[in-house]
Amino acid sequence: MIPERYSRQIRYAHIGEKGQEMLLASTVVIVGMGALGCVSANELVRAGVGHVRFIDRDLVELSNLQRQVLYTEADAAESLPKVFAAADHLRAVNSDVEIEPEFGDLNSGNIDALFRGADLIVDATDNLETRYLINEYCVEHSVPWVYGGAVGSEGMTAAFVPGGPCFCCFSGHPNASRQGSGRTCSSAGVLNTLTATVASLQVTEALKILTGSASVRKDLLYMELWDNDFYPIPLEKNPDCPVCVHHRYTYLGTASGTQAISVCGKNAYQILPSARRSPDFQALAERLSGLGEVKVKAYYLEFDSPSASFRLFKDGRAIINNADTEGRAKSVYSEYIGGL
Amino acid sequence: MIYLDNAATSGRKPESVYRAVDRALRECSGNPGRSGHAVSLAAGKIVSDARLQCARLLGAADPSEISFGPNTTTALNTAIYGIAREGMHIITSALEHNSVSRPLEHLRKCGHTVTVLPASVDTGVDPDDVRRAIRKETGLIVMTHISNVTGTVNEIAAIGSIAREAGIPFLVDAAQSAGARSIDVQRDGIDMLAFPGHKSLLGPQGTGGLYVRTGLLPEPLTRGGTGSFSEFPEQPTRMPDRLESGTLNVPGLAGLAEGIHFILDTGVTEIHKNEDRLRTFLYEGLSAIPGIRLYTPSAGHDAGSVLSFTVSGMESAEVAMILDAAFDIAVRSGLHCAPYAHSMLGTIGSGGTVRVSPGYFNEMSDAEAFVEAIRTIVQENAS
Repeated sequence: MIPERYSRQIRYAHIGEKGQEMLLASTVVIVGMGALGCVSANELVRAGVGHVRFIDRDLVELSNLQRQVLYTEADAAESLPKVFAAADHLRAVNSDVEIEPEFGDLNSGNIDALFRGADLIVDATDNLETRYLINEYCVEHSVPWVYGGAVGSEGMTAAFVPGGPCFCCFSGHPNASRQGSGRTCSSAGVLNTLTATVASLQVTEALKILTGSASVRKDLLYMELWDNDFYPIPLEKNPDCPVCVHHRYTYLGTASGTQAISVCGKNAYQILPSARRSPDFQALAERLSGLGEVKVKAYYLEFDSPSASFRLFKDGRAIINNADTEGRAKSVYSEYIGGL
Repeated sequence: MIYLDNAATSGRKPESVYRAVDRALRECSGNPGRSGHAVSLAAGKIVSDARLQCARLLGAADPSEISFGPNTTTALNTAIYGIAREGMHIITSALEHNSVSRPLEHLRKCGHTVTVLPASVDTGVDPDDVRRAIRKETGLIVMTHISNVTGTVNEIAAIGSIAREAGIPFLVDAAQSAGARSIDVQRDGIDMLAFPGHKSLLGPQGTGGLYVRTGLLPEPLTRGGTGSFSEFPEQPTRMPDRLESGTLNVPGLAGLAEGIHFILDTGVTEIHKNEDRLRTFLYEGLSAIPGIRLYTPSAGHDAGSVLSFTVSGMESAEVAMILDAAFDIAVRSGLHCAPYAHSMLGTIGSGGTVRVSPGYFNEMSDAEAFVEAIRTIVQENAS
């Protein structure tokens, strides 16, 4: 007997009772509980996906509330881990769904445990490295995943299903040197309508995949909400893709990801990105200037604000101050420096 | 890369060390002291040679007084817990590494009493303080030979003779001195001495050992797997078997034996002279830079090849990171596992110190480049 609460969804022809049963029997893992993760989790839990697990390493801050729709001022005042705050709110929404919060960093060492039993992964991360790891896992274990990214008023989303082109076919080898735009939501800002749009599109694809629909989007959808631009970018399988063709992985089953090393004698971590990079100090200083005090020194860039303090060095390494956990340190790096 | 972190591990080894490790893995891959076949015997020979070289270098009366383990920390723990008896009083110093201070803190919580003697940066622990601290329950004196933070040298022989006179076992942490300083356990009145294979002894990481004078019989930390005396229900009393549970690191010990051969051929005095020349240059060069504060014995005092400093207005971790990222120079920053030494120096607030430690294979040009880099960093930071 399917509960009354899903009646409107069951009446929708493409889902129906059968589709709803499939959703109730599904397990979805959401990686990242920022803006995209909040919207995805909210919709998936309300839609009655039977088991929703979400992973995040960060705490709720006041600046999250503009777009991270599950959190309240009280959560920010208490600096609650996002996953626990989200779990509390969502359990009050739908007590039938099994909700499993996982506080910490997703990496090659714990991905098997954190993704166990997953029928689908929703990418709501803020960094490329984790996406490559998710992609490699999903290729190896034939699990579909839905990519999403958003900064400013620009967003992208795509669904990657077993056998089709993978994320690496589209974005190139993870070891290829990339400068990246360096734009992050902290420095470039982000519209809350964009994150809601991207995440809702991701969840739509997730619902299609979980109910066995043939209508799953095959291309990558690009959107620019402010300048009214929406267009698909075709995804093609790279016949020489290291990941989905040759199964040669850069992150899965290796220790090659970004490392966080505790700085002896200080409440701080050193972040070593997995590849050397050369950040443009002047450009970054401009982007960070509204967020706190920035000084460009001969050998490093110094940033101080009430919510983050770090020193970024010329080879891309950084010392993240006032970080109690590795996860927090990596999160500050992704949020303010980006490009991981 | 200019490597100046030899107090952590020697960055370069003699060629013979690399070759010996490779050869041991390829040709002597039996388990030493177990089976009687050719490769087991070959592995056993490597271990015997390493034991003999250690005994020669340290002046041990018999190679069986040397037992091998994975590192100095294990050796120190074996010695401390192996000797501790209920209600014992232990004397130590404020210069110790936490491989000594943590076991002692644990023993203190278990009801032992511990006296931590103050130390001067210039001259270390005053041997008269040791004499005055001795009580009738004192059962162990444990001191570092050379501080891994400041390079301060303790008067080991003077303390050894006081310990011997009082009949109290004397344990020396030779992490920074074995291979770089003349040590003679018999001459210096040392009953137990813990040493690393991978620092000044120029062997691979994962090697270390403990000298225990014949007659002392510490309780082992681990039991079983000695290979020998399999019929005994308990750990054998014969040394070094008593302290060597489990298969030894044969390739590591092959490298260690070659490292010590190199030291014995070169001469400890020659190695010390070379390191001291570099250290003196660093001391003088850094002293001349405004804003640098040194934590190391002042001119005219004996010192190990380690010196610590802070840069005014900068965190130590930042200085080390700039040296690595912009100058390709490797040093260590932080507390160097010796929190009490930093309490004594007042360097907890700056995130510890920057520590520079030249080794035998460093050239004078490395020391020059280092001083120049610090001068540049200080100037750029001020501007």
